[in-house]
Amino acid sequence: MAYKKTAAAALVSLSLLASACGNAGTGSNAEDANANKAAAGNKASTVSNEQVTLKFYSYNLAIASQIPGTEKLIKEFEEANPNIKIDAIPVPSTDINAKVQADIVAGSAPDVAQLTFDGLDFAVNNFNAKPLEDIVPADELQSNFEGFSPNGMKLGQLNGKTYGLPFTFSTPVLFYNAKLFEEAGLDPAAPPATWEQVKEYGLKIAEKTGETGTHVGGATGGDWIIQAIIGSNGGQALSDDRKTIKFGEPEAVEAVQMWQDLIKSGANSKLNDGEAIEAFSQGKVGMLLFTSALQSSFVTASEAGGWELKTAKMPAFGDKPTTPVNSGSALFILTDDKAKQQAAWEFLKFATSERGYTIITSEIGYLPLRPAIVDDPNYLKGWVEANPLVKPNLEQLDALQPWVSYPGANWKQIETILNDSVSKAIVSDGDVVSIMQDAQTRAQALIQ
Amino acid sequence: MEKVGRNAGFYTAATIKHAALIALALVAVFPIYWMIVTSLKPESEVFTSSFIPLHLTFENYANAWNAIPMGRMLGNSMVVAVIQTVMQLLTSILAAYAFTRWEFRGSSLIYGLIALTWLVPFQVIMIPNYVAISDFGWRDHLAGLIVPNIASAFAVLQLYNAFKSYPKTLIEAARLDGASDWGVLWRTIMPNLKSSIASIGILLFITSWNDYFWPLLVTTKLENTTVQKGLQMFISSDGNMWGALMAATTIASLPVLLIYLLLQRQIIDSFVKGGLK
Repeated sequence: MAYKKTAAAALVSLSLLASACGNAGTGSNAEDANANKAAAGNKASTVSNEQVTLKFYSYNLAIASQIPGTEKLIKEFEEANPNIKIDAIPVPSTDINAKVQADIVAGSAPDVAQLTFDGLDFAVNNFNAKPLEDIVPADELQSNFEGFSPNGMKLGQLNGKTYGLPFTFSTPVLFYNAKLFEEAGLDPAAPPATWEQVKEYGLKIAEKTGETGTHVGGATGGDWIIQAIIGSNGGQALSDDRKTIKFGEPEAVEAVQMWQDLIKSGANSKLNDGEAIEAFSQGKVGMLLFTSALQSSFVTASEAGGWELKTAKMPAFGDKPTTPVNSGSALFILTDDKAKQQAAWEFLKFATSERGYTIITSEIGYLPLRPAIVDDPNYLKGWVEANPLVKPNLEQLDALQPWVSYPGANWKQIETILNDSVSKAIVSDGDVVSIMQDAQTRAQALIQ
Repeated sequence: MEKVGRNAGFYTAATIKHAALIALALVAVFPIYWMIVTSLKPESEVFTSSFIPLHLTFENYANAWNAIPMGRMLGNSMVVAVIQTVMQLLTSILAAYAFTRWEFRGSSLIYGLIALTWLVPFQVIMIPNYVAISDFGWRDHLAGLIVPNIASAFAVLQLYNAFKSYPKTLIEAARLDGASDWGVLWRTIMPNLKSSIASIGILLFITSWNDYFWPLLVTTKLENTTVQKGLQMFISSDGNMWGALMAATTIASLPVLLIYLLLQRQIIDSFVKGGLK
């Protein structure tokens, strides 16, 4: 009997402890509940000076090195808009779609979310993202985006409406190691401009220095670099009417064949992307095509390792125009509440303003979509002079192409099929034509 | 002569066995060694392959500690893992006792159902669980992390097998001596199955300590979440902060290591017994 009592008491006290510990957290759930009620009651209300709190999911806040810059952006916005409070919640980029989806089901969706561009179609059709055209009067929208990169506006558009404003994004740039170039008898001032030269230089570096010649990243973990390479050869991943998968067409196949040839010839490493990033950081890879967001960590590594880091634009297929595709994310307004939508628009406006992009570029490590601020001493002029490596990246913005999102609920599977098929094709001797056509057939079947 | 030869053979065999075990132990320990060494290297040395830090620094620990609310996260992880483990052990001990001690109608059906829930992937029940937790108002609360996990099918199955192997005659003898069911469970069975329970306990603790996805869904603020979510913050597609990551990982693995050291005797006992069966 005594044991029975003790055990029962232990059970009770443990569950009490559990709930007590739970309550020790912030009271944000109660706030959520109140906010939701307010949201329901406020639907018809218009803009006012009432206090508005925006629940904002951001993946930059889930990356330790990017927290200070992102917090600064939010703080400056709150200071300029005392009636708007940002309740910023960190969610890692790989899990942010699952989290938003779960929260929509649970009735606690974020008001503003930072989502990657490959999920644009899904965000519009399943997360009920709101187009800016429905929230902001046309003339205000137009005047706000004066000076904005025209290509940049297209990144977050679908069916002619703007759902996402480009927030933190990057482009594929060619990083190269000037020291290895010199050792291989190459001129560091003349980086390769075409894929043919990449192969030639890569072979030379491998032969003369014994290190890895080059590495083209992006075969795994999202298809934006694949889209950029296919596009540069005149191909497409998806047709313009968004109905037909095209990565099995001859232009796309040819682009992947070039990639396979780079590896087969020995110019390109057989490392995976993570290994290649580390090997490049150690000064053991001649050239690396990858996201420009890696720049600051490469600068640190090159200074520590005693070699010079240089950057160049993405290489071309002969004289065809290159089509750098952006990676990264846009800000989406998900709330149905009118007052919150207006507050969210204010936040989006600030984040993509001259000042916003200045913080994003210089303190978080991404790119500005207002070209003029690069030469403006009030904004980025001084920073760009101190960080000249960013220049090829800025030049690429003129040719920037949107990261195409696949339609329907299977978008991620289609992207994975492309990633997997390209990975399979480039590291094997396999027939690229049949691999890519098979991938196209399988992906097409997933489009509803 | 014959004896010497056999001795020599015995020693050679033992040497080979030990050499193989030492080599395997090194393979097992090396990643931990590399983690600690990397955590003590300055940023400029992280990418070098030196086996010892040339310039010893604790900078990474300071960085990791300051970049995220590490203390709070460790505390949360500890509270969640300890309560969850104790609750899971309690519920599974009671269930295992019921299944072994009493024969009641539908017992094998219930046991089968419990076994089946073990096979259901977390992703399937994730959203319904999350909606339920939200309805209780437990989002961003540690209760939301603990309560859905107070019973573990894995622990029930494991303990049921351990209980089943316990001689029934001893239980019956205790009953004849007038012991109640509680008496039999806590005074007769428990002391004899301590090592099995301890080894299952540490497995449950590690599972709970390492859980990432459920805390990711349930908690939003960094102050209310567990340390695994914090570790993720040093990893990103735009470059990993290796030094800080290794420092944070070293800190995060200390509690598990400590608990293992405390329960080492029991765990080895249980593995030895399990191996003899």
